[in-house]
Amino acid sequence: MTAIKKIWKFISSMRFAIILLAVLAAACTAGSLVTQGQDYAWYARRYSERTAALILALRLDDAFHSWWFILISAFLCVNLLLCSVLRLPQLIRRTKAAADPRAALRAPDGALAEGLSDPRPVFRRLRMPAPVESSTDDGRRALFAAKNRAGFWGAWICHLGILLLIAGFGLGQMTQKQYAVYGVPGQSRPIGDTGCVLRIDDFRVDLREDDTVAQYTADITVFGPSGEGGTGSSATVSVNNPASLFGMKFYQNSTGWAATVSVAEKGAPLQEEIVCAGEYLLVADKPDLAICFNAFYPDYVMTPGSRPATASGRLNNPAYLYSVYYREQMIGMNVLMADEELTIDDYTVTFSKPQNYTLIQVKADRFTPLALLGGLITMLGLLLALYVLPASVWAVQTGDGSWTLHGASRKGGALFREQVLRAAQAERTAPEKGDKNDASD
Amino acid sequence: MLQIENTLFTIVMLAYFAAMILYFTFIGVQKEPIAKAAVSLQCAGFALHTAALVCRGIGAGRLPLTNQYEFATCFAWGLCLVCLVFVFRYRFTVLGAFAAPVIFLIIGYAAMQSREVRELMPALRSNWLGFHVSTAIIAYGAFGVSFVLSVIFLLRDRIKAGGFLDHHIPNREKLDAISYRSVSLGLLFLTFTIVTGAIWAERAWGSYWSWDPKETWSLVTWIVYAIYLHLRIRRGWQGRSAAVFAAVGFICVMFTYIGVNTLLPGVHSYA
Ligand code: HEM
Repeated sequence: MTAIKKIWKFISSMRFAIILLAVLAAACTAGSLVTQGQDYAWYARRYSERTAALILALRLDDAFHSWWFILISAFLCVNLLLCSVLRLPQLIRRTKAAADPRAALRAPDGALAEGLSDPRPVFRRLRMPAPVESSTDDGRRALFAAKNRAGFWGAWICHLGILLLIAGFGLGQMTQKQYAVYGVPGQSRPIGDTGCVLRIDDFRVDLREDDTVAQYTADITVFGPSGEGGTGSSATVSVNNPASLFGMKFYQNSTGWAATVSVAEKGAPLQEEIVCAGEYLLVADKPDLAICFNAFYPDYVMTPGSRPATASGRLNNPAYLYSVYYREQMIGMNVLMADEELTIDDYTVTFSKPQNYTLIQVKADRFTPLALLGGLITMLGLLLALYVLPASVWAVQTGDGSWTLHGASRKGGALFREQVLRAAQAERTAPEKGDKNDASD
Repeated sequence: MLQIENTLFTIVMLAYFAAMILYFTFIGVQKEPIAKAAVSLQCAGFALHTAALVCRGIGAGRLPLTNQYEFATCFAWGLCLVCLVFVFRYRFTVLGAFAAPVIFLIIGYAAMQSREVRELMPALRSNWLGFHVSTAIIAYGAFGVSFVLSVIFLLRDRIKAGGFLDHHIPNREKLDAISYRSVSLGLLFLTFTIVTGAIWAERAWGSYWSWDPKETWSLVTWIVYAIYLHLRIRRGWQGRSAAVFAAVGFICVMFTYIGVNTLLPGVHSYA
């Protein structure tokens, strides 16, 4: 055999599949043990500088998107594809052969039971289809039945499903678009670079009596690339209930607090903006000056350790943690209550109208259905491979007119032979209308 | 209702414990009727266990499948269910004897967890949760049984030929075949678990697969058992090697179940 032929054979072999699967499992293990997505400093602090350098060099910080992970997956796909294509003719042959009495009748398998006067009830007990008449090479009468031939296709279908699944997942990873849009009711925001606009019409947080959150619900309207002038489509999204609009899927992802920040200059109103916690506002006529709205406490309390905290999720005693930056240098940080004012030179700043903003995640992945189809086909294939076990049973008439019984199942093995035996015994002890329970499996 | 569940849970633990002792006595004194009593007691314990889970479900107003306690007690339930099915289907009482300590260990682990009923965060309030976790329970139960079968297989060689245990434990070939059936059941249900989990994650978080450690470890477990199936097809890999492999697979299952929650961070930290 030439070297190329050898390589070809190896690449399409099950041995290679096993090696690849083992390597893939090891890769997944590595990826799960190393915290993903951190930077050098983080790993150096957590482990050591040497380990950190190694992690980054091996791309273990983003193992599941690393070139070697993709390479293993690609090899697995090639292996699966080749093995599926190359084995197809053999599979068709095997499926056909399983229905052919001659092959079974020539098999050297020993008889499982002897001296049966009529084997047909045993076939029934074993839930075999009605046996067909045949004859052995030496001219004796024979009965033959095969069942569950679909099971031969299980592994093949399963492999096809896995291929579709990996393809769907990979294509999705390469082409999917994801955006996060957040705002309070009444606000409209662009959806990334799609040209579409998302308007938040309403947002509700349903609290239970014990203050835990039961559900977050947002009413949204999405306008196509022609903008808010065009006709929009509305939907309600809540956790576990996304909506599909304009080829994108909208998820209620998370929430937080926003407040209206008002700035006055020498007593005259200058600016009023809705700012989400974590964001900042640049003073309109003095952009060197920034007010950062760091955090919000709806039910403000001071912990014994002098840290600000909230006693509940209800708006009983709202307080705002802010910081002030001048030319990107922080010049102050404090907590402001609802009725207080912050004065910086000529400017006075107040926080008011706290409300929940919603974060809507927007996702477009055209290949999700392909991956889903792959998953379903994989399940179907496994069901066939593992639970529809092909089996055949045949009986041969002996010189004295009685029958010997044979049975074989490539995967059922010892258990199937035992079933055949038990069915034959049951037929001997309680012939004809015996109970059929023993024919299970 | 939760009070009733509490009482039932204690009775179930006692029943499983007593069944275990009876099983051991059966092997010790080698009398058939004791085996019957042990199996009956395990069945009774299982029935009460089912009742306890129903009570908790009614008391909590939802499926009892969402925290460590609930999942642990369901795991014991699933293992007991699959064990009994195999005991009856393959007329294999000794399997019950070997499984009983494992069942007792898991329900003991459940007893150590907090039994408080907490309200569910919105992401967990989904019908997919029911499909996802109930298939996981069967998968874990089946893998648990395959682990027990592996142990029996590995001990089989040390059993005196022609003795009492030799008579009650199927021969190597049949034992191997039964083990294959339990791994098949487990792998099929683990596949259901992963697919339903992915569908649910897609609805709840917008991403059906995000390499969260629990997801990754369920995939590792899935791959390990897939390797088991492929190795079995190769000559020389049935029997002992397969038994060792299935036992290793169960270590992955246990790591996915407990190790990931305690040792690795992730969105599955609640269950
Ligand atoms: C994660 C990936 C895979 C899974 C889950 C999987 C699953 C299966 C299953 C369930 C079976 C049937 C086993 C049995 O009947 O006991 C099987 C058989 C088989 N698999 Fe895979 N497989 C995978 C990857 C591969 C790959 C990459 C190859 C590439 C060559 C491969 C080649 C085979 C072969 C040749 C058989 C024998 C089929 C038969 O005897 O009917 N598998 N596989």
